[in-house]
Amino acid sequence: MKINRKQLAGLIIGCMGLTIPFFLNIEGLSYAGHVALGIFLLAASFWMLEPVPIFATSVLVILLQILLLSKEGLIFTESTGEYIPDAYTAFIGTLANPIIILFLGGFVLADAAVKYNLDKNLTRILLRPFGTKPKFIVLGLMIVTGLLSAFMSNTATTAMMMTVILPIIAQLENKDPLKIGLALSIPFAANIGGIATPIGTPPNAVVIGALSQQGINIPFGEWMALAVPLVIIALFFAWVLLIRIFKPDTDSIVIDMSGKFNTSKNAILLYLAFGLTVFFWVTESFHGVKSAIIALVPIVFLTLTGVVTKDDIRKLPWEVLWLVAGGISLGISMKSTGLAEWIVSSIEWNAFGPITLLVVFSAVAVLMSNFLSNTVTATLLIPLAVSLSTSGVAGEGFNLIIVSLVIGVSASMAMMLPISTPPNAIAMSTGTIETASMAKAGITIGLFGILLVVLYAIFYWPLMIN
Amino acid sequence: MDHQIYILVIEDELEVMDALIKDLEDFEDIFPIESANNTEEAQLIVSNIIESGDEIGLILCDHVLPGQNGVDFLISLESQQDFIHTKKVLVTGQAGLEDTVSAINKANLNYYISKPWTNSGFHEVVIKQLTDFVIERKLNPLKFMGLLDSVRLSEAMRNNLLTDN
Repeated sequence: MKINRKQLAGLIIGCMGLTIPFFLNIEGLSYAGHVALGIFLLAASFWMLEPVPIFATSVLVILLQILLLSKEGLIFTESTGEYIPDAYTAFIGTLANPIIILFLGGFVLADAAVKYNLDKNLTRILLRPFGTKPKFIVLGLMIVTGLLSAFMSNTATTAMMMTVILPIIAQLENKDPLKIGLALSIPFAANIGGIATPIGTPPNAVVIGALSQQGINIPFGEWMALAVPLVIIALFFAWVLLIRIFKPDTDSIVIDMSGKFNTSKNAILLYLAFGLTVFFWVTESFHGVKSAIIALVPIVFLTLTGVVTKDDIRKLPWEVLWLVAGGISLGISMKSTGLAEWIVSSIEWNAFGPITLLVVFSAVAVLMSNFLSNTVTATLLIPLAVSLSTSGVAGEGFNLIIVSLVIGVSASMAMMLPISTPPNAIAMSTGTIETASMAKAGITIGLFGILLVVLYAIFYWPLMIN
Repeated sequence: MDHQIYILVIEDELEVMDALIKDLEDFEDIFPIESANNTEEAQLIVSNIIESGDEIGLILCDHVLPGQNGVDFLISLESQQDFIHTKKVLVTGQAGLEDTVSAINKANLNYYISKPWTNSGFHEVVIKQLTDFVIERKLNPLKFMGLLDSVRLSEAMRNNLLTDN
């Protein structure tokens, strides 16, 4: 295996991070907290510098927690006054956490949708009303991309939409700024659209998973009620921004809208499963059946009917589920060993007003996720929010749900660089865009995103939650 | 250095070789080009490439060569595991019907370019073959999007169910 300098640094810092706490005696932190700190440092440096793939770090975290912190592990076979060890099942159980099952349901539906071209055909139909004027086409593309990426992965949506826009880009004059505008509109809309539903993108799962461990359940529809209004504004802003910076030269473009819906029996079963599942997810608050339970229904239905086959199941992106589970698992120990509380108590949070706190969390999340995986960003920041809330150091005005949302949503607002998100990387790879153009538009959206998130956190979300 | 994917050109006439290399200019940044004047030399290059853990994406091969002819060389590669995905293109004006048929049947020939070729037609063939190679090999398409057929590569990404991280 070839390893670069950054990865080597990650490996060394990670291994040192894991061992050093064993030799220290940090005041106010239990022995178990020292162990958890070691695992946290290892995970953080591996996730940030990526000497190994991020999903591999996640399973490593789960194993280390079982070995070093569980009742069945090597150190804490008995409860001590300071630490009551969790059973190992608590850690491996995160692999079947309800949010993981919800994602699995989303994966199966998205997989089947791609298989039967539902995503492409929907795109064609939905784009029709937007005519031939470039700026409206861009708007249409962004709305469709946002909508699809709310239910499919942002990355898969971007790849699909590239097949729609690349032929348009090829038709345009070489110097037409519209080319850049088009190429940026897709990844930006996909990044933003992912915020809209719990299954839209993994950071949402991190937020929901962490909140559920605190006994707070956020139904599918409630998440949408909280997130969709923000997504609409952010998409609209991104559209205005892109068509202003990259003013189209041409006044009309043509998109190939040909193609027919697949009308085979399997495809129709899929449309049915897709429509009904989304309907019951969105209406969770009315009927009370948990979205993770609903998610099992299309899995069962599509496999029983053979619409989704064994090969399709093997192809699912399981590593994303591991990634999220590792994060949830790390959160368990950070809380139960008192580590999170210790980290939090070392900062004078009272010095910040509640609004400053929101701005700081949002800005840090946007900044971090520009360089790191969005999921890792959310995973590393959420435990802070949780312990701030449970320890009470942040004072009265601190609402756990709101701060968690701020972190989760902000993590998706990072789109400044090609490495910020996989959709950005895809758009960049087409060779249509310069990094400078992406950075210019991406920074503007990031800053607007922080403003938007903070405004929603102050004015809108409190109304919805209370 | 990263894992490399080579284009191998086998041609004995100097002028034709120059023309081929010139037409392949655009690809050279991503697909390093190796050239051989006969199949013996080609065999040596092929062995070196495989030994260093790299692979051959595309072979452009003349038929009439000193020593072993092009079609027989391609047939000899066909039976080896290392070249299952390698795209094989015959560039010739002189292969008879029988040789051509055996190249298609026994060497799994991917394309036949007859001399003289046009620049744009040649480009199209190379792009198509290398795109096929990248997709069949399930390589990460991002590196190739700017050079090869980006629509087909995007389509392949879509089918691979990429995810966010």
